[in-house]
Amino acid sequence: MNQNSFNPKARWDRFEPEKQGFNPDALDERIEVLAYFKHAKIAPKSFTWNNKEYPIEKITYNWQERLGQALVNYFSVSSSGQMYQISFNNSTFRWQIDKLIE
Amino acid sequence: MDAFFASIEQTINPRLKNKPLIVGSRASKMHTVVCAASYQAKALGIHSGMSSREAFARCPNLEFVVADQAKYIWTSEQIFELLKGYELPLNYASIDEFQLDVSGVKNPVSLSKETKEQIYANFNITASIGIAKNWLLAKLASKLNKPDGLTLINEQNFEEILHKAPLDKLCGMGGKTGEVFMNQGLKTCWDLYLKLPGYFDLESRDGSMLREEPSLQPKSISHSYTLAKVEINPLVIKAWIRLLSEMVGMRLREQNLVSKTVHLWLSGPEIGSFGAQKTSQIATNDSYEVYLRCLKIMARIAFKRPRIRALGISVSCLNLKDSPSLFIEEKQREALVKAFDRVNKRFGEGSIYPAQVHFTHRQS
Repeated sequence: MNQNSFNPKARWDRFEPEKQGFNPDALDERIEVLAYFKHAKIAPKSFTWNNKEYPIEKITYNWQERLGQALVNYFSVSSSGQMYQISFNNSTFRWQIDKLIE
Repeated sequence: MDAFFASIEQTINPRLKNKPLIVGSRASKMHTVVCAASYQAKALGIHSGMSSREAFARCPNLEFVVADQAKYIWTSEQIFELLKGYELPLNYASIDEFQLDVSGVKNPVSLSKETKEQIYANFNITASIGIAKNWLLAKLASKLNKPDGLTLINEQNFEEILHKAPLDKLCGMGGKTGEVFMNQGLKTCWDLYLKLPGYFDLESRDGSMLREEPSLQPKSISHSYTLAKVEINPLVIKAWIRLLSEMVGMRLREQNLVSKTVHLWLSGPEIGSFGAQKTSQIATNDSYEVYLRCLKIMARIAFKRPRIRALGISVSCLNLKDSPSLFIEEKQREALVKAFDRVNKRFGEGSIYPAQVHFTHRQS
């Protein structure tokens, strides 16, 4: 790409320690997930959080972020009328619930 | 893309669909700036760059979401990849804007329709496309029928469209330049065309620039930040300068570049907009050295304890780092910086940072 072009990696918020402060919305709790890995895509079907199973009715969006060598896949999902953000880290193989989407 | 960040947030959370929504650059709802506004918010006069306080004054029931750059960057890159599939000269103009040279395409309107459909099918967001003989007119065309628009400016409708298009819709005419022309009585793009026809026909504005060989080296590297409120504590101000120096230095090292010129920009109630630069004989990519050079520039400010609201650092006069360090101290410092970079590359940026940066949390 032409170096005079826009560089999406040159982001204003990267590396900002303010983000590491207290975030009341963050849950960051480990969850168990039933997911399909199909055609190079991940489709979570349900997750278990605090011993309760949440069937996923819809994945409204998914995106990725590289954190060092790890690639994190994020999913915004709906279950029983509530939206959740969950993520899968391909380096640690950890699924976690990031936050409730209000 | 139409209201890019806000549209993605409305796709993620269907509850926000068709509601006035702003995306703020930081979590403190009343102390931030509008990064993006949904079309429903735009209809209420809310726009990017406005303070969130003003936006909430206009619409107290406004929905608010904190910006999450990762999802916008990922979506933007995916759209860029999608456009690359056409194998046409392509430019990444900004996070939500792309320029495609369709001069060799038989039916650019059909291609545009297909592109819009693909973007909607993959990301559930709409795009507005403008087609014209150069990027200036194409950008104008893309703005005329937002959202989800598709406008072609050709020789037949050129005059009609320019007659209808207000001057401030034209790229470069939104600010003071536009004001100068408007004060001269120019109201539409057609008025400007009659006065300065060459403005719309410059060769550099056609698709040929997309076909040029890419330059491999950036001219400058910058980072800036606007604080949540004015800051007087020198410890905090210096911590921010240190953080921005780290970000700039890291990007220099990523590209194996060194810089001779450092530019510091500060803005605050007493000093207004202060900017000065310093060129040294020795080029560097060491973030701490960039920081020290910034402090020397900062010493030129007449006020002892200026209040600061925004700050930025830019390095220029860039060259490839081709000579190894000669002195032991320099070599040790370089090894330390390399180790620092390796940790951040392995575990993610910001995994390790100078202790001084931690003072960016402190409030005065």
